[in-house]
Amino acid sequence: MSAWSLAWRTVAHNPARACLAIGGVAVIGALLFNMLLLSQGLLLSFRDLLDTAGYDVRVLANEGSPIHRAPLPGAPSLADEIARLPQVRRVALIRSDTALATAPGREANAASVTLIGSSEHEIGGAWELVKGSPLPSSSAPGEPAPLVVSTKLAQLQQLQPGSLLRLRVALGGAASVLPSLDCRVVGIGNFTFEAADDYTVATTMAGFAAAHGTPEGKDEADLIMVASAPEVRPEVVAKAIAALRPDLRVYSNAQVVEQFNSRAFSYFRQISVVLSTITLAFAFLLVATLLTMSVNQRLGEVAALRALGFPRRRIAANLLCESALLVGVGGLAALPLGGILAVILDRILRAMPGVPERLHFFVFEMNTLLLHVALLAATGFLASLYPIWLAARLPIAATLRREIVS
Amino acid sequence: MTALTPIVEGRDLTRVFPMPAGDVTALGHVSIRIEPGEHVAITGPSGCGKSTLLHLLGCVDQPSGGTLLFEGREVGALSESDRSRIRLTRIGFVFQRFFLLPMLTAWENVELPQAEAGVPKSERRSRTRELLDYVGLTGRIDHRPSQLSGGEMQRVAIARALANRPPLLLADEPTGELDETTGEQIADLFDRVHADGTAIVVVTHNPVVAARAQRRLTMKSGSVVGG
Repeated sequence: MSAWSLAWRTVAHNPARACLAIGGVAVIGALLFNMLLLSQGLLLSFRDLLDTAGYDVRVLANEGSPIHRAPLPGAPSLADEIARLPQVRRVALIRSDTALATAPGREANAASVTLIGSSEHEIGGAWELVKGSPLPSSSAPGEPAPLVVSTKLAQLQQLQPGSLLRLRVALGGAASVLPSLDCRVVGIGNFTFEAADDYTVATTMAGFAAAHGTPEGKDEADLIMVASAPEVRPEVVAKAIAALRPDLRVYSNAQVVEQFNSRAFSYFRQISVVLSTITLAFAFLLVATLLTMSVNQRLGEVAALRALGFPRRRIAANLLCESALLVGVGGLAALPLGGILAVILDRILRAMPGVPERLHFFVFEMNTLLLHVALLAATGFLASLYPIWLAARLPIAATLRREIVS
Repeated sequence: MTALTPIVEGRDLTRVFPMPAGDVTALGHVSIRIEPGEHVAITGPSGCGKSTLLHLLGCVDQPSGGTLLFEGREVGALSESDRSRIRLTRIGFVFQRFFLLPMLTAWENVELPQAEAGVPKSERRSRTRELLDYVGLTGRIDHRPSQLSGGEMQRVAIARALANRPPLLLADEPTGELDETTGEQIADLFDRVHADGTAIVVVTHNPVVAARAQRRLTMKSGSVVGG
């Protein structure tokens, strides 16, 4: 009878103890799995979100805080310069601000929106048109500014392609003195970066300027997004732009993610490491305690087996297999449990203000699963060391004598 | 091994247990020879060192002094794994409390030491069947220890002890947990085992069991005082 088979019979012979151990490991393992998903999930999702926009290099002004950069002056001519680089496929100018959006006749449903001005009709995966048409490349003079509105805003204000929407840009959070601008909805779409508590509206650069009371437009952009030519690495493009304009900040998506990883995300990672360590310590204590109790209850049996000629390594192998079974089955049960927990927690976290709805905190990755398995296996192994030592070093004669006397 | 070589021989064996209140000498200068096929009973009051001597003979404990030879090999010079191998293949142990594995059936309990010794499966199967038949438990092969009586459990334990055809069977109070009638049945079984050529050393308080032995050793305060 193999060590596995004997371990299985031992586990099955004590169903209550086995259920306690497996249940405990499953719950602890689910928490561990969640912590591991969390430790990389946000980063993976953030990277994915950036990549879906279809642009892999970002150009920002050097001035301002890391969160609120000053606008880039002379943006159109800068965009032309960048577009002429052989490594570049296309360039988009982006402006953003907040505005109050009101549909005529539905003033009660007025909503604060993020207004995006774009030089491109469709910004890759930044929004996905679900109804109507994309932003036009040009508008006739006097025509209302074209808008693509988010599906949430369309639902709130019952907007359809062709509906009128009045925008009043908010300046610095103070009451705006800018006049309202009548715009026309041309399309409805899902915006990748829209948060749960936010509404987004996209328009052309001309529309954006008009909303700011400068119909002739300013030559500014908050951000220039650049798409690398096929077969060209974004880092090469970023380097070329930085060489062209060393006074600007240029990042590839990977560099943005790296910055995010080393700054904002490091808190998540640290919390995840601390909580993972605690959950592993709990798993260790649970399995070690149950196995030690089990060995203590079976000292006579172990001593008898040793007296019958079973070597220490066989006793050790039995206990190791027993530990592996408890941790293995518990660890397997932890996966669906952890998955359900991750979905619930992800939903809660994504509802936080300012978090894009399509950003996920818990993202499954094969490496995470392998790490989960490796950590639980190591914990199971370590937890079995003391009971193994206890059983293997057992003085046979003294134990048999004690068992008889007791 | 020649015909003159005893299975196990202890020369001037002592066993001292260090205790907080001072060392306790459980066995003092005992010499003993167990010849092949012999049936020896060790009797004496509780705490006189009977089980200690049996554990030394069975290579489960090491003497504090003296020399122990098993089939001519000095046990003290053997590695732990060599001693385990001797216990597995050359010695059978029967305990007062049976110590059967509760999660295994009678069949599996008897088969287990054979599997450990590397006996091929087909051989194991026939040997296990033969042994359970030998101890009269053919109808109980699928029963777990909790489904067996005390006498039946001890018979399974004897079958397990004989599984690897050891030349020496050691029994420590084998009838201690059994009633008189069952104890006699176990004594009968030992007689059969002895008659089949296995040497038996039995530690017992039971005069009926002791009376069946060819040689009786009486112990007192760690020494052999008679026999």
